[in-house]
Amino acid sequence: MISVKKGKRILTIILGMLLVGIMLVSVGCSGDGEKTPGEVEKPKLVFADAGWDSMCFHNDVAKLIIENGYGYETEITPGTTMVTFEGLKRGDIDIYMETWTDNINTYQEALEKEDIKEIAINYSDDRQGFYVPTYVIKGDLERGIEPLAPDLKTIEDLPTYWEIFRDPEDKTKGRIYGAIPGWSVDEIMSEKVKNYGLDETYNLFRPGSETALSTSLMKAVKEGEPWVGYYWEPSWIVGKYDMTYIEEPVYDEMKWNDGYVCTIPSVKITVCVSNEMFNKAPDVVEFLKKYQTSSLLTSEALMYMHDNDVDTLEAAKWFLRENKDLWTKWVPEDVVTKVEEAIK
Amino acid sequence: MSTFPEYINFKFGIYVETFVEWLLDHYMGFFEGIGDGVLWFLLKTDSFLQWLPWWALVALVFFLGWKYKKLSAGILYAVLLTSIGVFGLWELTMSTLSIVLTAVIISLLIGLPVGIWMAYNARVELIIKPILDAMQTMPSFVYLIPAMMFFGLGMVPAVFATLVYALPPVIRLTDLGIQSVSKEMVEAAHSFGSSSWQTLFKVQLPQALPTIMTGINQTTMMALSMVVICSMIGVKGLGYEVLAGISRVEIARAFDAGLSIVILAIIIDRISQGVANKYKIPEQ
Repeated sequence: MISVKKGKRILTIILGMLLVGIMLVSVGCSGDGEKTPGEVEKPKLVFADAGWDSMCFHNDVAKLIIENGYGYETEITPGTTMVTFEGLKRGDIDIYMETWTDNINTYQEALEKEDIKEIAINYSDDRQGFYVPTYVIKGDLERGIEPLAPDLKTIEDLPTYWEIFRDPEDKTKGRIYGAIPGWSVDEIMSEKVKNYGLDETYNLFRPGSETALSTSLMKAVKEGEPWVGYYWEPSWIVGKYDMTYIEEPVYDEMKWNDGYVCTIPSVKITVCVSNEMFNKAPDVVEFLKKYQTSSLLTSEALMYMHDNDVDTLEAAKWFLRENKDLWTKWVPEDVVTKVEEAIK
Repeated sequence: MSTFPEYINFKFGIYVETFVEWLLDHYMGFFEGIGDGVLWFLLKTDSFLQWLPWWALVALVFFLGWKYKKLSAGILYAVLLTSIGVFGLWELTMSTLSIVLTAVIISLLIGLPVGIWMAYNARVELIIKPILDAMQTMPSFVYLIPAMMFFGLGMVPAVFATLVYALPPVIRLTDLGIQSVSKEMVEAAHSFGSSSWQTLFKVQLPQALPTIMTGINQTTMMALSMVVICSMIGVKGLGYEVLAGISRVEIARAFDAGLSIVILAIIIDRISQGVANKYKIPEQ
């Protein structure tokens, strides 16, 4: 009996020591990530993530450069456009990498009141409008898809082809997908459908969310079915699938004011920072002032992200590796070396 | 900060994705068939409700409220329903109602048999219960995307998503209702020579009816609570009004539509509760 008791005690001691050992080891591990003493504490910079892919991507590009090259810590705050933009005005958010100036109705006011500072134009060659997958026009020999609408070129050709875009919920008309509620382009697109007279042959279908819009297109492409609807560049969809923009009359202020019956003008997409940024991190402001990409570059990166099933951070690393000529002009030499080290 | 060891790494979602892709490649026709059937039913219900004169529905609600509750309740429900029309949301309410109705009817078609089966077979119950839990707690966008891949955008995937969320109560309460019929009563039925089917239809189901009616009531309420989610995949109706209202910060628009959903819920809830109470067997 005594031996059993002793055995139990020894077992308890061994288990106890093991536990203490594990705790010590794990504490040791977590200590590794801490900063070496003596380094100057730099403020944390906060990015806004308003919820779409291209913005996340630009956030990560800037984040890689700022964290590795300038040594600031960063943080990303998610939210809707309105919420994050308010945050920028209040100074809760420091950097807004992709400001779709026309889509924020308080933008001009905020600039005039100097609540925020616009420091660079990220890109301004974006495009919004109605798109079809190119196989609808040209067909796809490899997949055995017939060109269903060979002469579809401009918005005036759409009524001729309504039958191929037939709406499953109302077979007497075609279905044209509209924009997402809450984006100011939603109203523009629905006015367009009315003013081009498309509503005689088409039902405007409002997809309700970005996910729904992209899923409907993906489903159509997967099955080789015709699809027509609103999309925009840059986006991973236009980067990944071969999409054709349906032409509209050239932009003209008269036509625009008369019910948007012309091409949607490009939106200026800017980089904005809070006023505090100038004190907090003047070196980063200098870098961001030079930040400039293009719609095409952004689309390519988003396509890379989607094709390889990686996150925006990986896509940002890939972008920095691929476009060295571009970004090395934005930052001083020493930063270039540090960033290159980090993205290897 | 403690971290979970990185070498213990297994991801489950990728298998689900592969499975969905496989289904899409091989059984698309099957899903299209189901989708077409549901869509046909939906469109018929919708066009019936749109055709139905508004006063006929108001009168029906008044009559049901009067019969199953009391006169004042009937008047109140009729006034509430009329006020939806006054907000200018009648047509949208009818399309919302047609989705809710379709979802509820399919829920009953699936839910009642499954509930009965669960009550009879302990092993089935063991398997289905966790599935029901998962259906109710899984965030809806997770299964909305596969639903859209299978059924396209619009009302059909919306009905599917509503089903996933609204089906569990009717199954659970059918199961509970039948199981709580007293053993003595079932034995008595058997000893008088009734077959299993007779026992089920003439003793167990009538006894369980109040519980089952509560289940149906819960299912309808849950179906109504899904309308805003459904609008995110392109369903017209009250849900879309709420969605558009909140995303454009139009408080007034969102509130009118939200209030209409509440009114619809109150009317359906009170009337179906009234019906359930009528069937309640008086306590001895």
